[in-house]
Amino acid sequence: MSSLTTRKFRKDRGLVTRMYFTMFMLGILYAAFALFMLAAGLHFIIIGGIVGVMLVVQYYMSDRLILMSTGAKQVSAEQEPALHRMIKTLADRYEMPMPKVAIIDTAIPNAFATGRNPKNALVAVTTGIQQRLSERELQAVIGHELAHVANRDMRVLAIANFLVTLTSFLMTMLFWNMLFGGMGGRRSGGGGGIMMVYMVTIIVYFIGQLLVLALTRYREYGADHTGAEISGDPGALADALEKISGTVANIPDKDLRKLQTANAFLIIPAALKGQGSMHLFSTHPPLKERIRRLRELEQRMRYGLR
Amino acid sequence: MNSGCDTGCDSVGWFSGGKVPKSDWSALSTVVKAEAKLQSLGEITPSRRAGVIYRDSDDNAFLQDIETELNMVLYQGDGATKTAFEIKDDDRGMRWIVLDDGNFGDLVSSIYTVGNAIGANGAGDRLLAAVFELYFTGTVEDNTYRSGLRTYWIYRYDRKAFYPFVPTGESEGERDRPTEARLGNDLRKHGLVVEKSLTEWMGLWGIPF
Repeated sequence: MSSLTTRKFRKDRGLVTRMYFTMFMLGILYAAFALFMLAAGLHFIIIGGIVGVMLVVQYYMSDRLILMSTGAKQVSAEQEPALHRMIKTLADRYEMPMPKVAIIDTAIPNAFATGRNPKNALVAVTTGIQQRLSERELQAVIGHELAHVANRDMRVLAIANFLVTLTSFLMTMLFWNMLFGGMGGRRSGGGGGIMMVYMVTIIVYFIGQLLVLALTRYREYGADHTGAEISGDPGALADALEKISGTVANIPDKDLRKLQTANAFLIIPAALKGQGSMHLFSTHPPLKERIRRLRELEQRMRYGLR
Repeated sequence: MNSGCDTGCDSVGWFSGGKVPKSDWSALSTVVKAEAKLQSLGEITPSRRAGVIYRDSDDNAFLQDIETELNMVLYQGDGATKTAFEIKDDDRGMRWIVLDDGNFGDLVSSIYTVGNAIGANGAGDRLLAAVFELYFTGTVEDNTYRSGLRTYWIYRYDRKAFYPFVPTGESEGERDRPTEARLGNDLRKHGLVVEKSLTEWMGLWGIPF
């Protein structure tokens, strides 16, 4: 197995730069949006108060909310000694406190980490992923999840999500205001002006969404990279991704001799399996690209080109 | 060497968007180049063996007399490959023609010849697959493929396409899927006609060679 030498955790520079760039772009967009809101004459103090409460709730309760919504059950070191030991070893390498450990009882292979900072982190794995992956691969997957925690991805994402929540909320308010004329009071200008504000809001919201999605995709590459740096074994995560991704899971258990020539017509729409061409709209980068980058990293590490 | 269109070689694919349907030979022959490429990279080496698996039939004269017929097909005439063969029944009710030839090109040619002869004698629908046996030779450090691991390259007659099969045990479902997926990509890159739908990559456990 891989050596246990602790590597100093380094932040992924490119990732952080991109994150801040994205946040900056979001800031500019939301400032422009705020100007339009003011022009529309909304009491945004009230709105801000409500959404502020939502932010606080979301921020401080995220781990509990996630436990509730996913059906993850927190497990003690006595219940899952091997898993606890593995996570403890990894957490030490990241120089972070031992996170809470949870298990989701489902055959679908998956894992996630959450928590607003490393002190409040939680790592959850499904029973499906425990069964399907080797120890080396599971270690890589959990390393990837801990990298999300170490890179403070949860906090950045919470803020980005909050801003999107705020926007959609304000949009609804504006729409309401436009239709029924209440709330804002001293509305100046004709319906055409409001319509324009509305159109701008939509465009702002749309672009904001794309930026958040781009941000989450960069997070994935960043966590892949950090996880590989810490473990020194990028191939392990590539193997794990190949194993748990739909593609490899599609290879059947069935013996060819059981195939009856007459009813061998399985219809699986290719579209269902496709990674999709809508890269702009997905939260995860295409698996193929992640695996390709990990394999490339594997090559570079092997030949000492860093 | 046999080439071309003895069976199943329609000239135009009317409802497949103008794509010309593959003949067994045009698909099977791609294995020669793909194997040569992987072997030159030091990733793989063929064993001497390959086989054709089919459902036997009491009603078919050719299949009833398969041994004599194969002696004719493989040993008579110019350019006969003279590949050694053996008939075996597996424990799942299927019959295998196991071929043995140190020349991979001849082995592929003989596999084609056997399948073609069965098809030409009215039992084409009894053909299940042609199977080639190979071994990974890459070093362990190389980490690409585990050295010494056995792989089969299965050619399905109904799909006219190949896929790799890496069994990890004797019972159904025991296979090394990640290695198969990776090898499938490599083989496609090197020109092999690889089955696109992974759900069709059905295994053959307990191959009798």
